[in-house]
Amino acid sequence: MARIKFERVSKRYPNGFKALENLNLDIQDKEFLVLLGPSGCGKSTTLNMIAGLEDVTEGNLFFDSAVVNAVPPHRRDVAMVFQSYALYPHKSVYENIAFGLRMRKHPQDEIDRRVRDAARRLEIEPLLERRPNQLSGGQRQRVALGRALVRQPSVFLMDEPLSNLDAALRISMRAEIKQLHQAMHTTFVYVTHDQAEALTLADRIVVMREGVVQQIGSPDEIYERAHNMFVASFLGNPPINYLDGQLEVGNGAVTFRRGGLALLIPPELAQKLTAFAGREVAIGIRAEDVSEHGAPPAGQALAGQITSVLPVGSDNFLEIEVDRKQLFFRVGKEVHHKVGDSVVLAVNVSRLHVFDKQGGQSLIWQKVQA
Amino acid sequence: MANLGRRALLLIASIAFLAYVLAPIAWLVSSSFQSESELTSKPPHWIPHQPTLENFATIFTANDRVVTYETRSEGVTATSGFVPSTAKYLLPAMWNSFVVAITVVVLNLLVSIPAAYAMAKIRFIGRTSSIYFMLVTRVIPDIALVVPFFLFIRKLGLLDNLLSLIITYLAITIPFSVFVLLSYFESLPDELDKAARVDGCSRLQTLLRVFLPLAMPSLVAVMLFSFLTSWNEFLLALMFTQTPAAQTMPIIVASFTSDFTISFSFINAAGVVAIIPPVILAVVFERYIVSGLTAGAVKG
Repeated sequence: MARIKFERVSKRYPNGFKALENLNLDIQDKEFLVLLGPSGCGKSTTLNMIAGLEDVTEGNLFFDSAVVNAVPPHRRDVAMVFQSYALYPHKSVYENIAFGLRMRKHPQDEIDRRVRDAARRLEIEPLLERRPNQLSGGQRQRVALGRALVRQPSVFLMDEPLSNLDAALRISMRAEIKQLHQAMHTTFVYVTHDQAEALTLADRIVVMREGVVQQIGSPDEIYERAHNMFVASFLGNPPINYLDGQLEVGNGAVTFRRGGLALLIPPELAQKLTAFAGREVAIGIRAEDVSEHGAPPAGQALAGQITSVLPVGSDNFLEIEVDRKQLFFRVGKEVHHKVGDSVVLAVNVSRLHVFDKQGGQSLIWQKVQA
Repeated sequence: MANLGRRALLLIASIAFLAYVLAPIAWLVSSSFQSESELTSKPPHWIPHQPTLENFATIFTANDRVVTYETRSEGVTATSGFVPSTAKYLLPAMWNSFVVAITVVVLNLLVSIPAAYAMAKIRFIGRTSSIYFMLVTRVIPDIALVVPFFLFIRKLGLLDNLLSLIITYLAITIPFSVFVLLSYFESLPDELDKAARVDGCSRLQTLLRVFLPLAMPSLVAVMLFSFLTSWNEFLLALMFTQTPAAQTMPIIVASFTSDFTISFSFINAAGVVAIIPPVILAVVFERYIVSGLTAGAVKG
């Protein structure tokens, strides 16, 4: 029981700032939904609205079939984990976790059982009598999780819960949160600006920018079929490379051309692009979508000069200058490269992204007027 | 060596400062235990040669004595007979002061806590302007308000009534109280407020169960400030009260200096009695005072 639906929801602050513009979003029961975007994109506002902490200016917010626009947070069955953890400094860990149950007047023995269950699950039993200021960041994070899960809410809200942790802990907590979702069988809505978190955790990702949804889809869809340049740039490490040029259509074949560079678009993508002959476009090549083995066939070769080699342990990042543009690629470590070398890479053209240079829309995955 | 010199310097400076602050109080206490003749003898001395409780006894028995121009010099050895004609009003006046101060403290808390919470954590239209407006009222000197206050109180028919003092002291103290609590509540993270509300608290419960326990130092600062302001206030009390029914401690103590003759030892004894309640408060809340007064400046 917890399907959340935004129907044409907008949010404007008294100072005129539009935090959210015409949001339509259907969050399924038991789904793990991630709201992803840079700061100020409206993702936290969306989360706060679900919690009831911010008013809906326009439109309707549904929990199942009921409109909850005017329902205060303490009457909604939601629990929330905050970036700063927001533990009550004057209460012990035990009382922090028990507080939500006490406010809802659960009997004492049930509170005790549930608090201890949650503490055991999160391995914080020895900390129950401590105060928050006696805990490390990771321990506080666990207490904050415990405070939320002890309530067994129908919706679990998380606002950048891992942002204050160090890198190693962040990765192990990611796995724990995923397990928690599987064990609890409830709806999770998770806000982050970290693409790696979004890709690992989400059933579906909502990419937002300046209060407007850019794309909703599974992690694979978002990564491989980005609807516009913003979405494509936001995911991927190192970020996607763009090259401006023109589309040439002839004999049913579509070619991307920029100066001496020609990339032949494979048929399955080309059929969506035949209408755009002569169009100014930006093609996107993901950092990992090149290969340096063997001589590339015609129509896939990308020649350039290496301007820097950045080893990252498992791979090397190459910075290559192609036609006065700096591009970043990720390659294996088998071939030795040095700065100044010329290199010819084979582009995996079946994974090319093609965007309209004007509006930045994907010409492959979006309906754009020819 | 430099370290030692530095410490010695700090020690000397501290002693000098303590002496500067405490010497008048020490003199007040010392002279309250001296008879008028000892106090006025030469050379003056800090330790009473013949300590006496007569001055205090006079305060507590003044009611039984009728002091008139004719009888003013009768019988009291400690004061050499110079008992002020208003001496018997001191204890009732202290009670008046106490009633006014406690009422002001309680009403201060009742009004300024919700006001400060709302201004700190709820975004409503006119929020910023109302904060500025309150701060502006603190810039106006009290003396500029005396005449409008007087007309206002007279219209209400509250002259010579304790209510007149309570109303005007509230007007003076509440902006400051709200300001102190506001800066403290603002220093508490918004996420704490949100966490409590998601956990099941209404706004009022959030305030009572999460914010107030954390705000103890600031609350103590507010209580002390409003108590002391009311306890010590002179100007407004002088304007609005005429009879012992409503006169407060500062008015009566001041009247001791405008009598037939002046008894310094008696006035000093009255001064000692007058500082006892604030001292008790300060001792009880001592551990909160320092952190409370700096709460606005440093994040709690």
